Amino acid sequence: MLRSRALALWTLVVCLGVVAGAAAQTAPPGPARLAVTDATLDNGLRVLIQEDPRNPVVAVQIFYRVGSRNELPGATGLAHFLEHMMFKGTPTRGRGEISRLIELNGGRDNAFTTKDMTGYYVSIAADRLDLVLGIEADRMRNLLLDPAEIDSERQVVMEERRTRIDDDPEGVVYEAMSSMAYLAHPYRWPIIGWMSDIARINPGELRAFYDKYYQPNNAILVIAGDVKAAQALALVRRYFGPIPRGATPAAVTAMEPAQSDERRVIVRKADAQLPVVNIAWHVPNYKSADAAALELLSTVLSEGRSSRLYRHLVYDKRMVLAAGGEYSYTSLDPTLFWFYATLLPGQTAEAVEQALLAEVEQLKAEPVPAEELERARNQIEASFVWQQDSVFSRASVLGRYEMMGSWHLLDDFLPKLRAVTPADLQRVARLYFAVDRKNVSILLPAPAAPAAR
Amino acid sequence: MRHLTRWLAAIVLVTTTVSAQAAGSLAHREILPDGTVLLVAERPAIPIVVVRVSVPAGAVRDPADGLGLANLTAELLTRGTAGRSGPELDRAIEFVGGSLEADAGRDGATISLSVLKKDLPLGLDLLAEVLLHPSFPADELGRKVADIQAALRRSEQSPEAIAGRTLGPLIFPGHPYGRPAAGTIESVGKLTRDQVVAFYRLHYRPDGANIVAVGDVTTAEIRQALRQRLASWTAPTTALPPIPRPAATVAAESRRISRDLSQTTVVLGRPAIRQDDPDYFPLAVATYVLGGGSASRLYTRVREEKGLAYSVFAAVQPGRYGASYVVSLQTRTDSVTEAVRLVREEMARMGREPVSAAELDLAKSYLIGSFPLRLDTSGKLAGFLGAVEDQGLGLDYPDRYKERIARVTIADAQRVAAKYLDPATFSSVMVGK
Repeated sequence: MLRSRALALWTLVVCLGVVAGAAAQTAPPGPARLAVTDATLDNGLRVLIQEDPRNPVVAVQIFYRVGSRNELPGATGLAHFLEHMMFKGTPTRGRGEISRLIELNGGRDNAFTTKDMTGYYVSIAADRLDLVLGIEADRMRNLLLDPAEIDSERQVVMEERRTRIDDDPEGVVYEAMSSMAYLAHPYRWPIIGWMSDIARINPGELRAFYDKYYQPNNAILVIAGDVKAAQALALVRRYFGPIPRGATPAAVTAMEPAQSDERRVIVRKADAQLPVVNIAWHVPNYKSADAAALELLSTVLSEGRSSRLYRHLVYDKRMVLAAGGEYSYTSLDPTLFWFYATLLPGQTAEAVEQALLAEVEQLKAEPVPAEELERARNQIEASFVWQQDSVFSRASVLGRYEMMGSWHLLDDFLPKLRAVTPADLQRVARLYFAVDRKNVSILLPAPAAPAAR
Repeated sequence: MRHLTRWLAAIVLVTTTVSAQAAGSLAHREILPDGTVLLVAERPAIPIVVVRVSVPAGAVRDPADGLGLANLTAELLTRGTAGRSGPELDRAIEFVGGSLEADAGRDGATISLSVLKKDLPLGLDLLAEVLLHPSFPADELGRKVADIQAALRRSEQSPEAIAGRTLGPLIFPGHPYGRPAAGTIESVGKLTRDQVVAFYRLHYRPDGANIVAVGDVTTAEIRQALRQRLASWTAPTTALPPIPRPAATVAAESRRISRDLSQTTVVLGRPAIRQDDPDYFPLAVATYVLGGGSASRLYTRVREEKGLAYSVFAAVQPGRYGASYVVSLQTRTDSVTEAVRLVREEMARMGREPVSAAELDLAKSYLIGSFPLRLDTSGKLAGFLGAVEDQGLGLDYPDRYKERIARVTIADAQRVAAKYLDPATFSSVMVGK
């Protein structure tokens, strides 16, 4: 539980690549962190390499600074659709060939799209680095984007949306919250896009999106595993070096106006078995001095069975099956702090909403006891150590912090957490969790149809 | 995501596949005086330790009138001991950023400790307490029963969960593997504390248990630490009853579960074979060709060419006492007929025609070559070692697997496909409109 949530924290992040000319190796202070070699190619590609000889494997992950936040109304889901198309071939590697080559060499590949970025990852025997870099360099600029393949894959993406959202009551209520809480910012639409947009998007739009964002100067390449940094960097230069720099994509300029009202949505689904109550407030991201306190608040509220919401609502009051408070520290733009609860049978959404709000009021009224704060800090610090156990998670975290501006930001995170006081937690709760500016989304079972009575 | 992470299938694969590494380097194995098997893999680079205790206390040992008893018993281990309440246990382990969890699967129950190296003594103290001295407080039992019932109810909104529950008894009629591992809302509501205590006393025993330690710890260190803490652990005199093997073939049946959904979830299944059957290795290769990866026939035809599904796969799922074979997909309501026809046609073709040399090569290369990725974290390695021990495969299993897979021929793959992949022998469940 600790590990999976710790990983979930690293979702979404920034651009504005900071850059140094020559490769520099740094071994920062801190718990057992392996050294990172970083470099920027002449075409702007950022490269991070971490040597780890413990297992004969390597994680190769490439992150593009493009996600659903870079889309426009009427063409939502483009970033994710394009992610699917990245497996559909180039002139030298036809449809299915990329995954076939990876599997033939004993590797695993997959990809993901978030609101802030699109990532492609391969884990493979370390002596196959050459193969993977060749593939990634090829599909960075040479994608076929064949119209017939686009139409076929469109159906797959629509199936994915049905599985993940339309047929999952909790997916529907999540989508409803986001599209209500954001008025002006692109975080309001789902990453996978609206069904009508997926159905409509045309090959020209995919091509234009690809040309705009899939450029070396808009990407971060991370390599972690049983490799030598100098040799790996030479391979990277060989494959990616010849790719010319692209135009710099325009920055996302949308700003969410301050919320001055209360918003509420109720979703009724026939198959919803247990009601769900979500309450969300707009909060800043990692750029704010308050971010570390928000991160600790989330851990105090949610992490483990000794967390507050578990102890109070699950254990003592027996109102809910599960509850928590989720915050995305690394979000590229200001984000939402979500309180969520899944009700036990026999409980009402009204009562659980009041119980969640009472927890919020308690955060404002009383400082969090020192022991609770210390536990939360220990949990986050331990998760940092655990994350180093795999090349996959280390590569992911490096890439995400580089997205935020620099992987060196990782070194600031724990010191920032350590500086937070109980008074800070109380202050941010008062500042951001205003009772008359909240967003509430509730999932309820559909009332029984008259015919069924 | 481009493809759905198939975690269920993935877990099964973790317990059953191959190593490219030499067996000797995987772990140290010894039998402690009380009969417990100890397996240790030293990985000193990162200051973390995983300790995983496995006991023969899985759902397969639920009494017929007490479904869910194994699951409830395991879930209650951390909810109170002779010395500490449940919340006190939670606070103690979480204050140091660690975790201590107990749960029961179909075959066995596990208690898993994850701690930073510096907190290992505390973690082992807590682990020993929940293993040897659980108190099963009545109020905690009431809470846990209500939570399990609510979780079962919530799973009614998951088409995959509904399909899995329905398919189980069709694949394993009359066998414990066909029953729901967590029980039913009704059966769990009837379980008593006396039943839990009796189940615990009989099944949480050192003979038949194994302990796996992986991470920044030496064999001498963990042996000594366990001896100090587990000295009083003794086996009851009553032997555990043997678990029968399920039937090798059963009549195929089909079920339709009506739900107002935009997609239909289709799962086909039948009994299959374990790793102790020589046909297992050719079947693993044939399965990879049919529906194992994104170059597989099902993925290519159903998804890449026709766009009929986001998720479609085939998997052989061996357990300690038997195995199942499952083919699964989700597709929109109006394409179910076409998608299922394609899937059945591809299954039949596996037995009718030989696979190509390129397909065979791909499957073997992947199954052998991807193995190190399955052991690349301490948690994954601990799970693998425990499963190899639980299933009696032997620490040389990784090498044997590699060798057996490498030996599979085109004729082998076709022969086992004809035997195990005939669509007429598969039961089917559809959940949707």
